[in-house]
Amino acid sequence: MTRNDPIKHFFIWPALLIVLVISIFPLIYSLTTSFMSLRLVPPIPARFVGFGNYAELLQNPRFWNVAWTTTIIAFVAVTLQYVIGFSVALALNRRVPGEGLFRVSFLVPMLVAPVAVALIARQILNPTMGPLNELMTVFGFPNLPFLTQTRWAIGAIISVEVWQWTPFVILMLLAGLQTLPEDVYEAAALENASPWQQFWGITFPMMLPISVAVVFIRLIESYKIIDTVFVMTGGGPGISTETLTLFAYQEGFKKFNLGYTSALSFLFLIVITVIGLVYLAILKPYLEKHK
Amino acid sequence: MSVRDLKGSGRWWALAGCLLWLAFTFFPLYWVAITSFKSPLGVVGGPTYIPFVDFDPTLTAWSELLSGARGQFYNTFIASTIVGLSASVLATFIGSMAAYALVRFTFEVKLLSGVIFVVVAFGGYLLGRHVLGYGQAISLIFAFVAALALAIGSSRMKLPGPLLGNDDIVFWFVSQRMFPPIVAAFALFLMYTEMGKLGFKLVDTYTGLTFAYVAFSLPIVIWLMRDFFAALPVEVEEAAMVDNVPSWRIFFGIVLPMSKPGLIATFMITLAFVWNEFLFALFLTSSKWQTLPILVAGQNSQRGDEWWSISAAALVAIIPMVVMAGILSRLMRSGLLLGAIK
Repeated sequence: MTRNDPIKHFFIWPALLIVLVISIFPLIYSLTTSFMSLRLVPPIPARFVGFGNYAELLQNPRFWNVAWTTTIIAFVAVTLQYVIGFSVALALNRRVPGEGLFRVSFLVPMLVAPVAVALIARQILNPTMGPLNELMTVFGFPNLPFLTQTRWAIGAIISVEVWQWTPFVILMLLAGLQTLPEDVYEAAALENASPWQQFWGITFPMMLPISVAVVFIRLIESYKIIDTVFVMTGGGPGISTETLTLFAYQEGFKKFNLGYTSALSFLFLIVITVIGLVYLAILKPYLEKHK
Repeated sequence: MSVRDLKGSGRWWALAGCLLWLAFTFFPLYWVAITSFKSPLGVVGGPTYIPFVDFDPTLTAWSELLSGARGQFYNTFIASTIVGLSASVLATFIGSMAAYALVRFTFEVKLLSGVIFVVVAFGGYLLGRHVLGYGQAISLIFAFVAALALAIGSSRMKLPGPLLGNDDIVFWFVSQRMFPPIVAAFALFLMYTEMGKLGFKLVDTYTGLTFAYVAFSLPIVIWLMRDFFAALPVEVEEAAMVDNVPSWRIFFGIVLPMSKPGLIATFMITLAFVWNEFLFALFLTSSKWQTLPILVAGQNSQRGDEWWSISAAALVAIIPMVVMAGILSRLMRSGLLLGAIK
């Protein structure tokens, strides 16, 4: 039920104005900048270059490298988060012993500043005084170069992402699980369906819509990753762990190459939109099948 | 006991899995806590795990941090607190008003008006800057005012094209969160710099940072609060309307007090977001209004890896959020947050 009253404008305009001024308008401004060649250091006058910045970026192997790194981090991290998160949520939903304790504790990582998390990870992964390497030595492994070798460094960033954001997946999936109707399970139990059958036949399909939403949110958020990478590896070794946002930061704040950075931001926006649309298009038939 | 409860060995496997996850979650936090009490020698000499057993705790790191020997600790903490609290209060308040409006009132916006806004803002800026030769900031302001005026004016007129309703407006707000923040942060930095040339200093100021955080928290607030307001019983409001109570008094006197749990939860989620935010703080602050994440990240490079002091600084940023996790989970237990998450 909605009503009409001139006072509605008083309610909505503050929010509308702030979002328009702070978020939409800079976008328009930066879109115009992306079609220009504009540098602050050394200062050169703005020059209209059309799609020049975009073309230059698309031909830059570093851009493709960075996009690939970000994609690997995002997809692997979100997959792990979903699998682990779903398992923990199931256990909590089925009242595992000590459920109350787990419930309180799984919220914590989400609320810790990513920068602090990355610093802690650097300590734990430290080759000489980190506990992880000591543990590895006990099991007979050599000292592992966790942050200085590309594969290990990407793995470390992914683990930090999983540590920090699996709680979000648990939180959302647990909320979803608690709304599932009980009687379907009672019927399944009467027909002697095994827990495994119940999961694939009932729980998973019924949780599909919320799963799609959760994975979508996490995927988009993962693509924006900068804090942890910035602190843990700084994009190194070389540029092998550099992500899209970090690349934009380097171009914009180290080189003050404004037109180029704006073009990069918009390419990034396009990449995210395309991934989002493809993802939703792929899943649509499954979602409709289970409605 | 319901059918869904775990039985037999499955129960113990699940418990083992959960304990493993708990260990993975808490070990890093435990590690940072004990490291902050280690002496420099104790850190360098290899990993140690239990205070008083394999190392002797000291307070060196904490006294260095609190005495200000490690950068502007107090200023940063105070700046973070002020910006965090005021941005969350403002965002919760402004966002709740908008969310309430979107639940209880009818809005119709013509798609064409939106298009007019974008076209005029975009074209007006280019015109002012590159044809008429005005400065960037002046062109921006004129283009914005003209675009807004034309968009509002055009929505009053009879125009062809589809009408957008409340749901579309909510979607528009929420979709702001889909943008990579680097797009907005960088553009905002450029715009703030231009405003600075006009005499309005916005980079590294309280106003600039707070407004940025309010704008980027609003989508979450509107999304969460809309569900809370929609779940409130409408009868109370209808009764008040029969008595001719004006809408603003219904909102402030009846609706806001009724949705207090929702407001608290939303406020805390917003506060966590602002408190931990890194990218905007990195772009928009340099010294005076620097926030904690920037200080913590800065500990990293300044004097090499002095883990004991890094740990203490990280803990200062973490502790308020751990307290909040406790409060939030209590709110959740009582089912207050469930409605928002669905």
